[in-house]
Amino acid sequence: MTTAPASGTPAPDQALQTELAGHPPDRRGSPIPTAGMIGTRVMELRKRRGLMIALIVMNIGFPAVFLLIRLLAHAFAPYANPPAGGYQIFVPLAAGFLPTFGFIVAATVGCTAGSRDLTEGMFRHLVVTGRSRLALYLARIPAGLAIVVPLIAIGYTILCVVCVFAAPTFIDDSNVNIPPGLSRAGFENWAGDRAEPVICLLPYNGHIPGNIACPGPPPWSKSVVTPGQPAPAKLEALAVRIASQDYHGYTQILRYPPTSLMIKAGLWLELEAAVGFTLGLGLASLMGQRTVPVILLIVFQIILTPILSGISIPHLQDLQRSLVGAAMAQLRPSGLALAATLPGVTGGVGRPGAAQSLLSESATEAVCVIIAWLAGWTILGAWRMMTRDA
Amino acid sequence: MNTTALPGTPGRLAAQSRWAVETHGLTKRFGTNIPVNGVELLVPRGSAFGYLGPNGAGKTTLIRVLLGLTHADAGTMSLLGYPVPRHRDAALARIGAIVDEPRFHRHLTGRQNLRLLADAREPAARDRIGPALERVGLADRADDRVSEYSMGMRQRLGVAACLLGDPQLLLLDEPMNGLDPAGMAEMRDMILSMVAEGRTVVLSSHLLDEVERTCDAVAIVDRGSIIHQGPISELLAGAPLALDVECSEPVRARALLAGTTLGARIEAVPSPLGLEITLPAGTGRHVIAEINRVLVEGGMSVYRLQPVQTSLESWFLQVTSRPGDPE
Repeated sequence: MTTAPASGTPAPDQALQTELAGHPPDRRGSPIPTAGMIGTRVMELRKRRGLMIALIVMNIGFPAVFLLIRLLAHAFAPYANPPAGGYQIFVPLAAGFLPTFGFIVAATVGCTAGSRDLTEGMFRHLVVTGRSRLALYLARIPAGLAIVVPLIAIGYTILCVVCVFAAPTFIDDSNVNIPPGLSRAGFENWAGDRAEPVICLLPYNGHIPGNIACPGPPPWSKSVVTPGQPAPAKLEALAVRIASQDYHGYTQILRYPPTSLMIKAGLWLELEAAVGFTLGLGLASLMGQRTVPVILLIVFQIILTPILSGISIPHLQDLQRSLVGAAMAQLRPSGLALAATLPGVTGGVGRPGAAQSLLSESATEAVCVIIAWLAGWTILGAWRMMTRDA
Repeated sequence: MNTTALPGTPGRLAAQSRWAVETHGLTKRFGTNIPVNGVELLVPRGSAFGYLGPNGAGKTTLIRVLLGLTHADAGTMSLLGYPVPRHRDAALARIGAIVDEPRFHRHLTGRQNLRLLADAREPAARDRIGPALERVGLADRADDRVSEYSMGMRQRLGVAACLLGDPQLLLLDEPMNGLDPAGMAEMRDMILSMVAEGRTVVLSSHLLDEVERTCDAVAIVDRGSIIHQGPISELLAGAPLALDVECSEPVRARALLAGTTLGARIEAVPSPLGLEITLPAGTGRHVIAEINRVLVEGGMSVYRLQPVQTSLESWFLQVTSRPGDPE
């Protein structure tokens, strides 16, 4: 049985009626988040102490400690330890370490932003405010990037500063320390005065007599130019020939990263982080949890993508090219591509396939792939948020 | 989903409607389970309205449907005269709600959690954070992390969150949960004060005593459907009346009453002091006098004859099903 309330119930409040009728149009149905929403969302993420400590340690602490150890080692034992900075340090860190850890950091922040309202019970409160669910979702993107971008920038800035200001004062060519900026004649003269290390260490496409004895490790300090030493005229002539042949290689070696490369690499790193964040946000919103999406993204980006990019699958090359990691590798600044040829560097930490990719695609194709991934995951995450029971 | 919004422009309907909540045939299904089954609910504006039902009756689900936390499968609904879901954002701008246990970001303080919610509302909501915290008695602990809050404090914070929008309608789902007796009394006073300010409060609860003390009208829901709805006084007026009779010979008194014309209309059972007689709803005072006359003329001493007002609780237990009851 259902009975309507009797007439004895309180009459409608006339003042309230009038107030509601004259209520100004409310824009909270708009999908565009307000600055206040973004600001408090930044606060919500920033106040996660454990997350922030982990992110700072990974993205700033690790490279900072690594570079600090190199600085100290060089300061206390310059004979045994090369300078902390320089181009040869910049490349593996900027091409391997920072993008890898930057991606993990960004994906973790994205997954946190995408799932914690739900798991911690705040999503319901937010929906009840009447604010558009799409706006609630979109507010997380600038807020998360406001956390991620500075973190990446700080870690990267430390790297750039050390690599520029603690760069070696010489050109290290195959462990021969050569003054920078020599002309061909100057380089040949310099080589003639240091016949033994030049003959023993510099690359040479010619015949080297077998009676030349090369010592083991170089007997000079790693922080100074290779010192001169007298040698027979025959060996000096050979060293000059070797220097003449190696001159082009010598001029290509950089002491520290050029400004243009640092800017490009920085932007590329931030793009990598933005991709990681957006993927994390979308996937976590879709799944409604944090841990599993973080693991899935790390496995996908750090393990599967390099493998899939590094093998040739004849009928699936378009599919391979559609991987966001492969597209990101295509956009990597050319100055960082030397990573694969540097001693001890095989395409960067955790992403050997990126440097050894068998796939080729144009920059336009790569940009399209990246935009498709960003748009796709944003749409998926927003759709799930708009349709999810709260 | 075939829910339809009530027709008309939202502003005009908001002004015309005398109901804070109005639903017609509202239905929500989860597979074969129908927690909200054709609900016809009319909550008058400016009242404290109890929404009562046993556990699993569908109280929370109805509130979730009204607030758009989950979609309805059929029926129409409006909140403060705004047809929803079409104008839900306009309606929710004037509504505050607690649904289930209030949960917040535990790593943030109470004030920071409210900021998060205020910034999703209109700009003026930020200015209401302080007064809301004062009103619920959390001002002193507002800058403590929510992880340090007790259940009762989180309930208060939930009410403070409701107040951020200066709501004209509050939907409170079990707001007394976790509160100690003093907290329950404070919550009751708070609800009554909000009603006194012209707001409408819908109180979903299974604490019948609290509802009876707080609300003007109730709807009783059982197995997803509303089985009774109206002012509490009218509902109880329609409830059977109990009569405690203390007399010298209860067994003979029972037989005596059964042998009269009253016997067909009343149910008398022995009690420790005499008889407990249940009279049909609407029984007049003359019937009590008639019982007294029959007993006295039958030679019995009548020491006490006391009508017992049916409480909302006892009436609720009579009209609702309980676990184990046949469908």
